[in-house]
This record gives sequence, structure tokens and C-alpha cells, in this order.
Amino acid sequence: MSEISLPDAVEVALELLGKDGGVVIGGNSATNNLRWANSALTTNGDSIDQTLSISAFVSMSGGVATGMSSGQIRSRDDVEALVAASKASAVSAGPAVDAMDLVAGPTDKNFADAALTLDVSEISHVAGGLAEVFAHRDQEFFGYAEQSLDTTYVGTSSGTRMRYSERTSRFELCAKSHDRKRSAWSGQGGTSLTDVSIGNHLSDVTQKLQIQNTQIDTDAGRHRVTLSPSAVSDLLIYMLWSSAARDAAEGRSAFSNVKGGTRVGETLTKRNLNLATDPNLKGIETFDRVVNLGSSALGSAFDTGIEIGRSDIITDGVLTALGSSRHAAQEAKLPFTPLTDNISLVDAQGSGSLAELASRMGDGLLITCLWYIREVDPQNLLLTGLTRDGVYVVSGGEVIGATNNFRFNESPIDMLARVIDAGTTVPCLPREWADWFSRAQVAPLTIEGFNLSTKSDAI
Amino acid sequence: MIQIPNTPTPELLSSAALEAAASNGATVAQFRLAKHDMRGVSLRDGDVENIGSESNVALSVRVVHSGAWGFAASTELTIESAFNTALRAIQVAKISAQVAADEVILANEPVHGKQSWTLPIEIDAFEKTDSEIIEFLQNWNHKISGSSIVSHIESNIGMGRDQTFYSDLLGNEISQQRDRISAALTAIHVSDSGFEDMRTCAPPAGRGWEYLTGTGWDWESEIARIPEYLDEKVKSPSVTPGAWDLVIDPTNLWLTIHESIGHATELDRALGYEANYAGTSFATIDKLGNFKYGSPIMNVTGDRTSDHGLSTVGYDDEGVAAQKWDLIKDGILVGYQTDRSIASKIKMDRSNGCAFADSALHSPIQRMPNVSLQPGTEDLTTKDLISNVESGIYIVGDKSWSIDMQRFNFQFTGQRFHEIKNGEIVGQLKDVAYQSKTPDFWASMRQLGGASTYLLGGALNCGKGQPGQVAPVSHGCPSATFTKINVLNTRDESAK
Repeated sequence: MSEISLPDAVEVALELLGKDGGVVIGGNSATNNLRWANSALTTNGDSIDQTLSISAFVSMSGGVATGMSSGQIRSRDDVEALVAASKASAVSAGPAVDAMDLVAGPTDKNFADAALTLDVSEISHVAGGLAEVFAHRDQEFFGYAEQSLDTTYVGTSSGTRMRYSERTSRFELCAKSHDRKRSAWSGQGGTSLTDVSIGNHLSDVTQKLQIQNTQIDTDAGRHRVTLSPSAVSDLLIYMLWSSAARDAAEGRSAFSNVKGGTRVGETLTKRNLNLATDPNLKGIETFDRVVNLGSSALGSAFDTGIEIGRSDIITDGVLTALGSSRHAAQEAKLPFTPLTDNISLVDAQGSGSLAELASRMGDGLLITCLWYIREVDPQNLLLTGLTRDGVYVVSGGEVIGATNNFRFNESPIDMLARVIDAGTTVPCLPREWADWFSRAQVAPLTIEGFNLSTKSDAI
Repeated sequence: MIQIPNTPTPELLSSAALEAAASNGATVAQFRLAKHDMRGVSLRDGDVENIGSESNVALSVRVVHSGAWGFAASTELTIESAFNTALRAIQVAKISAQVAADEVILANEPVHGKQSWTLPIEIDAFEKTDSEIIEFLQNWNHKISGSSIVSHIESNIGMGRDQTFYSDLLGNEISQQRDRISAALTAIHVSDSGFEDMRTCAPPAGRGWEYLTGTGWDWESEIARIPEYLDEKVKSPSVTPGAWDLVIDPTNLWLTIHESIGHATELDRALGYEANYAGTSFATIDKLGNFKYGSPIMNVTGDRTSDHGLSTVGYDDEGVAAQKWDLIKDGILVGYQTDRSIASKIKMDRSNGCAFADSALHSPIQRMPNVSLQPGTEDLTTKDLISNVESGIYIVGDKSWSIDMQRFNFQFTGQRFHEIKNGEIVGQLKDVAYQSKTPDFWASMRQLGGASTYLLGGALNCGKGQPGQVAPVSHGCPSATFTKINVLNTRDESAK
């Protein structure tokens, strides 16, 4: 065992930081995972990571500087070394542009409690269910399941002592025909793998593969499409990451107004779309306080401990806020808008399931997954990427078969102006960004003129 | 080599883990102790935005038990932890064995015994103080901050050091150390008609601080020209989309190699092991030895021995000695990248040494070696290649990239797009993206630059696997000419 516990290490670090203080974060992350391919388990793992991270504040002529250090701690000596390193970096750095007074955040009574433990047997639920999946010899199965449990201790020199735990689970099942000419995917995010009905996912991918028995060639071009909640979330998460008030105010963002200032207040879509982050959204709850070690366009160590509420980015189709730290908000002359690790998109006019929405589309393409999304042009937030694991042809309101994959070139901002219909908001797992962002509740959308730029031969 | 204060030696931790694994029925047991040190400084308009260091160390045990893999890891570096981690790995293997279809078989590898390997560097970047690094970056900023075209400047320096100890039941005890360094400076122009940026093209490298002071890259000249490049880009016309001949500089082509050859020739992908995540590959094993990957002048190697390569090692993360081998010979697919278990799937006698884990907290998987396109036999310069193009674009520096899940359809942009007319560069174009299908693109390669144009590009952020792992990797290549490649106008692509 380490000679010092994480909560004790946080206290020791704060003591060593002295009067100038800083922010100290102790993280205990336990993870179990299973991975399978070609209908057999492949790699797997069970790991525990304990890390102490420090942002030291140093007062100097002209303001307060910050410096960071991070590493594992086994004794008080290790804590002392991290504090010394972070202080040395701060002394060299010069005054931080985003320096503000730390707030006095909460003082959790359970701060000194030990980190929660994750038993390796918790993933057995999935391992057991996979035997039934692999028994379906008419398909080949691939996928991944992960259960993590993070316990985080946050202390600041303004008296904040926060301890919080987050469970995150993720299940993905991909099925392919033996000739590898058909491929389907089903995924689920959440807090516990025990909530996963493997049978439901198996039914989902099996049904999709059956539809793919009918293949219809489709040319590239601008198409009317219905995007699944997962596909919509992948596009909007990137947009959220690009929604920094600081960059917009400086004229270097797709949210900049070329006449000066930002596009806040502009109507992005005539639909009653509402895009928000909210730590208290049922089912995708996340920690409701700012925790930052460094500085970025979207956050600042100096904001650590501030309560995060709901942040409405788009309200009834109007851009109403951009993500910011307190300092960036002041500079941009916009309200302070801290973002959190979840996303919600609701269309007040939307209704029905993905299947019902696709049916209402009449004629078009139903896109289930997007992949390899990258920014092409930051001026308009043009993104490129691929469709994946199932694009379906809808004709006369009926799914009549599957079609080839495409490379798309689209801006999620421009796309919102071409939303013509929406479904009911549901939980979903972002296919592209789930490694970093898995808490999403999003409505499926039907888009007019979605730019499927070139065809892809990939399956 | 790897020393962690106040903890048992790697050998003692290893003994505890391997003995626990062997005495509890493991047929294969591999112990790893890995320490990863990182430092980074970023400036925004000359002010420090972030400065910090990170040091991570952990131990792990990977076993084969009941015919299945089991892996466990911990950041606690005690004899008890090493012992318990081995038992946890066996527990995981037992769970896996319930649904593992195939028994794990490892391709043979000679026992190398006790070995030590260090990537050579000239100046230890970790010896530089924070103040020295900040001052160095600020000097770069000052070189261009007076330019009227430059509205903002972002710059950064990062460095990393990996120290690893690997041991197994066969008697291997391998200590290694490798360093890497990266830096970049980006100038941004903002006006009432929008914004543009221009970034340095220097790749990260397996070198020390000497890399930033002129060894391997001419930073002074490049940074001095950034305002001029940016100014020309701002004023340049938007490209006319269509089929263009392209001369692609190594600072851009390395990334196309990475995506369309590097990942496509990973055997685990070709066999479906990445199908749920990164995808598969069009280069399936039935194509080995007969598939025309590109034009006859195309020769590509996999290499874990390249000087200053980011994927260069002495031994991989399951004790296989570093090698160099052919992936594509005279335009034909002839090889793959493997680890030991994947190599055995296609009856290879030996793995070519591509097992890698980005930390001891992750299980080794097959990762990319330095995959490099060999230069032409004639020592043509980039200017020679440009002189042979009547109408085309010379593309320099990497930027946006994306490729499909079988490595067919790709789309790339770049830093600079110089228009070529009658063999001469006449000015920049903007809003350029080139898009193609891998075999078509490489079949269109009609001319290669010689050894004098060869450059080792690369990246620190190659992602693969679930749970996700990040690997540094280099790709060497000369300048090369490609015929009639589809060029998109990115403004047209976004037009409503």
C-alpha cells in the first residue's frame, strides 16, 4: 500500500503550497474491460490508476502565475516533489492572463473517505452474455465493454474540499456477415454494464444485417438524410468543443461575427432546437462543479470549485451562449458559461423514434453512425468524416435496403439551418467520441441537402 | 536504467510477479514496469498559457492461462502489489477463457536475456529549466510578432521520455529508454473577411534539445518566413476544384502514408481485430504477394530501427528484437506489421516486433513501426519534380486528415498549396483538400524525389485500440508527384 492516501496527499500538497495556494486533484481510476473480435474474446484488462495533480499559484509582480505537475504518489516525498515542480514552473511562467480569485467551494464531509472499489466480477455480466452472442454462427461479432469507477478528490487553497465518484459504462456490439459485405453496430453508454441487455443489442444488429441483404447503389451528392442520435451527437460534440467565447470574440472561430464580436443572439435554425450541457440531466448526470488544472479556451484552474448549472448554448434555435472561463467571459463580454461533460439536444417540435422519423422523411437516406470526424476549415467549422456500419435507403417512408458508405463534408452549424424534422430525445452513445465523451441525450434529425461528398468503398 | 525512489528494484518486482504467475498455472507471463515523463510549455501571444510536467509509472502483468490472455496493472510499486497484480491477471484470463474461441499461441522469438538499449540523443531536453524553455519560445514569438499580418501567435514545446523494464518467464530482462521532442509555432491573421493561419511544418522527432537548435530542422529560416507564407495565403485565390497533378512534400505525404499504408498493413486490422473501433483493412491476407498497391516505383518498409524514429526501439513490448522489413515491394503488397500472437495467426515464423503499450496500465497490442516510402533511385530534387508538372499544386505541411474504416477513401488538407504552372511555382492557392482512394492514389504516383528530399515526418498522437492507446510514430518519405488527383474546394463543400 502507498504510505499516504489520496485525500491526505491533497491536504499535504495544499499545506506545502503555502499562502499563495493552488488547486490539487487526486484521482483514483479503476477500470475493467473486455474486447472481442471474430466471435472470440481478445484483449482484456483490469487496472487501477492513482494520480495526484497540482496547479501551484505563485504571487509575483503583475499578478499570479500557475504551474502544473502530475504523477503517482507513494509517500510524502512524492507529494513534496510534485509541489516543488509545480511551484518552479509557476515561478518561471509569469503572471497568468486568466488569474482570478478562487471561490470557496463546498467542504464535503466524506472528503477523507477511501476511493470506491470496482470488483473485476462486475464485468462478468457481459462475459456471460457474450457466450450466447457468439453462439450465433451465422454472423461474426466484434465489440468492447468497459466499466470504470473514478473517485476524485479536489482541494483548493480557498477551502474547497470535494470528493465525488462517477461510474461510466460503455457497451458496443458490431456484427458482420462472414463475407464482410454487411456490417452493423449497436452501442449503449451509461453508468453500469449490468443495465445492458445484450440480447436487445444482438436483436438490433441482426435486424440491421438482414436489411442489408438488399443493397442499393447511391451516388454522392447532397441528400436528404435522417441522422441517428449517435450521429447527431458526434457532430454536436465537436461543435460544443469549438464553441469557445474567447476564440469567437477574437475573430478566430466559426462563432465569430465578421463585423466584430460573436454570433451570440443569431438565429441558427428556424426549428425550436435547444442545445445544452447540464450536470443534473437524469441518466447522464455528471459532476456539478468546475474542476480544472490548467488553462484553455474553455476553462481555467482559477474557476475550480464554482458550481455548474445548466448552460443553454442554443435556445429555440438562437445561439444564446458560448463556453468560457470567468476570465474569458469577461473579455468577451458574455455571461460566464462553464461547460460540463454531457450534452442534450431537444427539438421542441420533435416527436417519435428514429424509425418513425426516417419514415416521415419519405425519400432519403438513414445514417446510423459517423466516423473519423475531423475539422477541415475552422472558419465555418466544416467537418469531414465517414458514414459507417449501415446507411439505409428510405423510399416512400419505408426502409427498402442498404446503400454504400460516403465521405461527408458538413458544418454542424450550417446543418442546423437545414433541419426539417426531428424525433424525440433519447440517450445515445457517440460512436466517434465515446473515448472522451459518452454522456449524451440527443434527438435524431432529418437534414435537407446533407453533403455526402464522395462515395466510400469501405464496409 | 529505470529507477523509482523508495521502491523495490524492477528485478524484485518482476520476480514476485512472474513467480506468482508461474506458480498459479500461467503458461506465459510477461512483466512490465514503465515510467513515462512529459514536459510541456505553451504560449499564447507570448504569454505562458500552460506549463507543466507529468510523470507516470506503473507495473503490469500479462499472462496466458487456460489458453487465454489475462492482463492487470497497478500504480502501486510494491512486492505485494506485483504479486497481487499477477493473480488478478490470472483471474481475468479465467473469465476470458470461458468465451475465448482460439488458444493464444505466440510466434517464436530467441531469448535475448539481459539487455539494455537507449535511443541516442545529443542534449538532454529534460535538463533544460522551465525559464530556458519559455525564453526559447518567446524568442521564436519575437521573430514574427512585429509583422502586421500576424494577429495572434500560438507556440509550444513538448518532450517525452519512456523508461521501461520488460521481463518474462523465458529469462528476458530488457531495460530501454527513448526520448522525443516536438515544437510548433502558428501565426493567425484576423480581419473583417475572416481568419487564416500558418504553422511550422517540423515533425516531432526521436531527438533531444539539439533538434530545436538546428540539428535535423532549420527552425530559424522556417519561422522567419511564416509571416510571408501567411500573407501570401491570405491574398491567394480559392482553388478551382477538379483533377490536379500534385507534387506532395514529405511534410504532408508522411500523413497520407500513415493513414493509407501504415494502418492498412497492420495485420490485426486485416484480420478483423480492430473492426469495432478503428476498422479493418482492404489489404486482406489473400492479397499478400499479389495485390498491386501502387505504381512500380513504390517501395515501403516497416522499420523499428530508423535513426531518430518515434517508433524506434531496441526490443518491442513482448521481447522481440527490432527489425526492418518490406511491406510493399515494387508496388506489390508483400508484408504486414505483427506482434507475436497475430504473427502466429498466419503461420509467420517470427513476429516483426510491433507489440507496444502506451503505458504499463494498458495491454500491449500491435502498433505501427516507422512505415516509410523509399526515395527514388535517381536523386531528383523537389524542384526537379515541380519542373516536370505543367499544371498542378505543390502541397506542403499537414493539417486536416480523415480516412474510412477500410483505408480506402481519404481526404487531406495542408499548410500551403503552391500553384504550379509550366514547371514553376506562381503563388499560393487556398481552400484546398485532396481526396482519393488508396490504390488509385498510389497507382498514380509517377515520380519520386531522391534521397536528398527524404524526410522523417511523424506524429505523437496515433490512436488505436480499446481502451484507447496513443503511440508516437515516424514516416520517412521523399517528395513525390501524383497524377490527376481529385481536389476539392473546401468553401464549395460547405456552401449551403
